[in-house]
Amino acid sequence: MRDLQFVNVRKTYRSPSGQDLLALADFSLTVDGGRFVSVVGPSGCGKTTLLRMAGGLIPSDGGEIRLDGGLLIDPSPKMSMVFQGIGLMPWKTVEGNVALGLQLQAHRRKLTAEETKRIHATLEMVGLKGFEHYYPHQLSGGMQQRVGLARALVRQPEILLMDEPFGALDAQTRTVLQDELLTIWGRVGSTILFITHDLDEAIYLSDLVVIMGRRPGRIKQVLEVKLRHPRYGYDARAEAEFARLRSIAWRSIKEEL
Amino acid sequence: MTERVDRRGGSPKPAKSALAAVAANHYVLATLSLIVFLALWQVISMNVPPIILPGPAKVAVAFVELTLSGELIRATLQTIWPFLIGLVLAFILGTGLGLVLGIFRPAARILDPYIFVFWSIPNIAWLPLFIAWFGVGELTLIVFVFVSAFFPQLLTVESGAKEADSFLVEVARSLGGTKREILHVVVLPSALPYIFAGLRIAVGRALVGIIVGQLLIVATGIGYMFQFYGETLSLAKYFAPLIVIAALAVLLNRGVNWAEHVLVPWKQRAFV
Repeated sequence: MRDLQFVNVRKTYRSPSGQDLLALADFSLTVDGGRFVSVVGPSGCGKTTLLRMAGGLIPSDGGEIRLDGGLLIDPSPKMSMVFQGIGLMPWKTVEGNVALGLQLQAHRRKLTAEETKRIHATLEMVGLKGFEHYYPHQLSGGMQQRVGLARALVRQPEILLMDEPFGALDAQTRTVLQDELLTIWGRVGSTILFITHDLDEAIYLSDLVVIMGRRPGRIKQVLEVKLRHPRYGYDARAEAEFARLRSIAWRSIKEEL
Repeated sequence: MTERVDRRGGSPKPAKSALAAVAANHYVLATLSLIVFLALWQVISMNVPPIILPGPAKVAVAFVELTLSGELIRATLQTIWPFLIGLVLAFILGTGLGLVLGIFRPAARILDPYIFVFWSIPNIAWLPLFIAWFGVGELTLIVFVFVSAFFPQLLTVESGAKEADSFLVEVARSLGGTKREILHVVVLPSALPYIFAGLRIAVGRALVGIIVGQLLIVATGIGYMFQFYGETLSLAKYFAPLIVIAALAVLLNRGVNWAEHVLVPWKQRAFV
């Protein structure tokens, strides 16, 4: 269950000069339920396009995207997206932003007592207890992305789609949030599709690293990461396996630059 | 050498911090500046003929006289009602239509050119037409204030509603938001600061509108006091309606600021 399937998905963009640009060509991938899959590749390889299609924000031009076997066209209540730009409503408090994840999922503004409890539990899980009534601009970038994560998690999604969520953060904050994401993933068990251009991040977090080539975007190589979980429990980045995978992945990507 | 260090660490420092403490006190500073202003006014008025500039004491006496005789209060009421009716109507309709045009692009494409033309015409040019249509009276005054305030309110709100961040719209969509929900959670809140920005301009325009209207149409109220005491060169009395208008303008702007502070808390707190 909770499988996400791409079957021969393609996407074309029309350039301003009227030419068709193939962004993604016959992309097929199955993300098994409960797994953490990263997609890496040079900029312009269509990885964000891929995620936006999975999130139902843009239509594909061919092929199918399936969630638990059902065709996926519109944004699904079973999914949550986390964006690099975060996209918090500046006029809502931390609590209000997280509540929005539920309100738009259920299409009602009134929250049940159970949902309010869930909001607070989620805020506690991402380390935002005590910040409920802050406005986004009063928080650091890392804290804001915690809110973005809470807004996604409070929906109890089967699938979490993450588009370079830590890309705009400083290295230290990023490392902390990576570990916290792994902890949270261990607790909620959602399937995660994670877009990044950071190889270390992809290897450290994922079960599977999908390397994409560009023009047109396609899968070039898939690496399985066999480092044991939980990876924050030891220095996974120092393992020989980590170095081996990184060197393979880097060689593969370098050809695309 | 030691002496120098001593001096630096000694007397000048406390003096400086005492000055800073005075400067930090907003009320002390405001009072001081008022005293300086009145003193300057007094000095200048003593050096020019009283018919050109009466001193502050004479103005104060005239103000009290006009208040006690009821003239100033009557004029103020005659001014405030058409002003408020015109402004409130302009605010409600301008905000409403501005939101509609900002949200429904086809409507904007049809109406925008007309609005732009009406907005471009200096509103004083409407006055003779309004008099012809609505006669010499309160109604014309209200219509003139309305037209003065309506267009800035409309245009500011319209541009605000168009300004909604497309990324936030996409985020709301990814969370499952319908068109209606997106309007509610993204578009309207992002237009709210513009509603206040528009109101600030509208208040100023409406004030000009009411004074000009009373000067040129109905010969009542504050506007007429300006005309009468100006033409008869009773300048001490001329300043009384001026003070009323200044107070009204300050009061309204404070009111708008306060309402914005309460209703748009995410904006101001950025500067605290």
